[in-house]
Amino acid sequence: MDRRTVLKGLAGAGGLALTSGLAAPALAQGAAARTLRFVPQANLANFDPIWGTQYVVRNAAALVWDTLYGIDAQLQPQRQMVESEEVTDDGTTWTFKLRPGLKFHDGEPVLSKDVVASLSRWAARDPMGLMIKALQQELTAVDDRTFKWVLKQPFPKMLYALAKNNSPCSFIMPERIAQTDPFKQITDYVGSGPMKFAKSEWVPGAKSVFEKFADYVPRQEKASWLAGGKQILVDRVEWVVMPDPATAAAALQNGEVDWWENPIADLVPVLKKNKNISVDIGDPLGNIGSFRMNHLFPPFNDVRARRAVLMALSQEDYMRAIVGDDNALWKPLPGFFTPDTPLYSELGGEILKGKRDFDAAKKLLAESGYAGQPVTCLVAQDQPITKAQGDVTADLLKRLGMNVDFVATDWGTVGSRRAQKTPPGQGGWNMFHTWHAGADCINPAPYTAVRANGDKAWFGWPNSPGVEKEVTAWFDAKNLDEEKAAVGRLNKAALEDVVYAPTGFFLSYTAWRKNVAGITKGPLPFFWGVSKSA
Amino acid sequence: MLSYILRRIVATLPVMAIVALFVFSLLYIAPGDPAVVIAGDQASPEDVERIRQSLGLDRPFLIQFGDWVWRILHGDLGTSIFTNLPVSAMIGQRLGPTLSLMTVTLLLTIVVAVPLGVVAAWKAGSLIDRAIMAFAVFGFSLPVFVVGYMLAYIFALELEWLPVQGYTPLSDGFWPWLENLILPAIALGCVYIALVARITRAAMLEVLQQDYIRTARAKGLGQGGILFIHALKNAAVPIVTVIGIGIALLIGGAVVTESVFAIPGLGRLTVDAILRRDYPVIQGIVLLFSFVYVLVNLLIDVIYTLVDPRIRY
Repeated sequence: MDRRTVLKGLAGAGGLALTSGLAAPALAQGAAARTLRFVPQANLANFDPIWGTQYVVRNAAALVWDTLYGIDAQLQPQRQMVESEEVTDDGTTWTFKLRPGLKFHDGEPVLSKDVVASLSRWAARDPMGLMIKALQQELTAVDDRTFKWVLKQPFPKMLYALAKNNSPCSFIMPERIAQTDPFKQITDYVGSGPMKFAKSEWVPGAKSVFEKFADYVPRQEKASWLAGGKQILVDRVEWVVMPDPATAAAALQNGEVDWWENPIADLVPVLKKNKNISVDIGDPLGNIGSFRMNHLFPPFNDVRARRAVLMALSQEDYMRAIVGDDNALWKPLPGFFTPDTPLYSELGGEILKGKRDFDAAKKLLAESGYAGQPVTCLVAQDQPITKAQGDVTADLLKRLGMNVDFVATDWGTVGSRRAQKTPPGQGGWNMFHTWHAGADCINPAPYTAVRANGDKAWFGWPNSPGVEKEVTAWFDAKNLDEEKAAVGRLNKAALEDVVYAPTGFFLSYTAWRKNVAGITKGPLPFFWGVSKSA
Repeated sequence: MLSYILRRIVATLPVMAIVALFVFSLLYIAPGDPAVVIAGDQASPEDVERIRQSLGLDRPFLIQFGDWVWRILHGDLGTSIFTNLPVSAMIGQRLGPTLSLMTVTLLLTIVVAVPLGVVAAWKAGSLIDRAIMAFAVFGFSLPVFVVGYMLAYIFALELEWLPVQGYTPLSDGFWPWLENLILPAIALGCVYIALVARITRAAMLEVLQQDYIRTARAKGLGQGGILFIHALKNAAVPIVTVIGIGIALLIGGAVVTESVFAIPGLGRLTVDAILRRDYPVIQGIVLLFSFVYVLVNLLIDVIYTLVDPRIRY
């Protein structure tokens, strides 16, 4: 008899006396094996994938709601809920037909009217959806399984827009739910996907439970990211939120959880030593580190000041601050697009390559007219990645002779303050740090951060007609070669004007118990095809 | 006594109103905007503004405050900006784990700290006394998260006696409930045990020098009777006071403990709500905590009259 048994026995005896025999039924071994316990990257604080765009919401929503198309591992859109589509020769009228037998979690069939309502709500919030909406003549249900989208002009990236995995995805909901104002949160979570959301068990900030939807009809093809047959091989998936990485690591080692989405680099060596745990790169598309300079105010309203910083920055310094000494986790990135994807380009990337030239950078900075005014650098201390980058930047600017006003605060404040267009001394800012999911940087469509359309651009409000011209060229491209050419020119223009400063490409690990099988690499955790043995 | 309790409860209302106004004002002027957090990185300023409008955050301060007070007076703590769930339901979900953690910690403290303090006073100046006080200094000096990690490493990872994280409600069984609370309660209780043990020792030392203790000894009363019947009862007022004040320590410590042991309690809810600027949740929790403090103070005053009959209100 071991110590734990003794403790259990003693406490159990005491407990019997106190609680009149409220002993817990032991969880059967089989039932435990049918429940996959997963530690997500963040807390699932809300559950409307159109209203809120956090990745964690998107990841959970991908279990509960299906999409018309899904992006596969080759980054190609594939049919998902759709059986077939037709587009007229002039590219303006798309007619889609749904697969037969699709059902919502309340047992109702998925009909065209549901799709029309869902796409309308999505299009009001999604950047690509907004582009389609601007071209839209009508979006109507033809019959129960057929719907039609008529545009004023062709939109060649239609299928990609419906398949893409960046938030918000065009998830299909029942019409009654999808009719909710896109700026108000839904409260009914009836889905069309392979798992049902157990709302009664939801403890926001702590636990979310998903149950297998028995009536889901998967496609016959092999699953590939968001495409193909989404076969659920467990009965339940429990998301257990753990704010403390050390606790998550201990829980995984102890077998209290089965899969940890993103272990921090510091704890990976401990996990790798455990014979019961597998560790591998989670998302091959990784992340792109970034700091943005405010193009509206001195010193960074002058391109020479922005280029001076680019000439001096060491991506290795940034990456080591983020991932430590594990060289498998990072690579230099002399550009803006995700490495090892079809459109990746290094055109114009010389400024980020080779030995860092502080003397030339200081000279260029002086030419820009910089005279020692404070540079307000916003850093979110509660996010390790931004904090690490902020520390490196502060050092870099000081070495360049700049007067750094280092504002260390929380992400809520940075998120709010970076939207201020006032001068830095009046509540505004000069620079802030963040990072972008590599999956959102594979082409210009979901890549808000690389856009440079002035007032309409992302925070920092870069204005570069050269970049915008190539974004349009990419949207109009008729084949991959034309796309590559446009993105190469875009990359060069974005580096010349320094839309933002890429600090490198980094990956992160995912870790799971060895009795779990079927985990695949991808931009989000895919639960289809994942099984667990006792 | 009843009229005193009623008067005290009525007197708490203006205190809570001032706390409410303070908290509401503080959140209003604090930087950060929940609409920005909700809208995400891709959102345009127009999207953010529409979300602000839909949440009513664009209304003037006094209207927002008035609306909030009106709802509070009707027993409605509002709805979370993020989860769209009633704040009362969210607090209800989280109250059980926090109350459980605090109860086990309090019991552990009383069971361990008071006897330690009594023994230290009894053996004042001896090796036992010095050992107990050294333990108290040690317990007082170690941060909760350090103790938490150490306990988790030893008892959960190495020995595999106890789970490292989580919470099981009491309705699922006593042992499943308790096994999740043992390590967090020890981690959280260390500081508290040290504090109560020191106060108990000091109070007991003072009482043990009183004439009536000498009289009791002269009458031939046994050591146990002297310590636990005569002395401890008369030393109880400062001990009860420090236990009551310690509730504040427990609430503060629970935030860290709940994070280290992944307990879904009010502490974690508070931190999450603050980081996200979920105003209604923050306001609801602060009101609850204010109420708890007032209640604890009242309870302490009532206990005074029980342990010391000379005290009358």
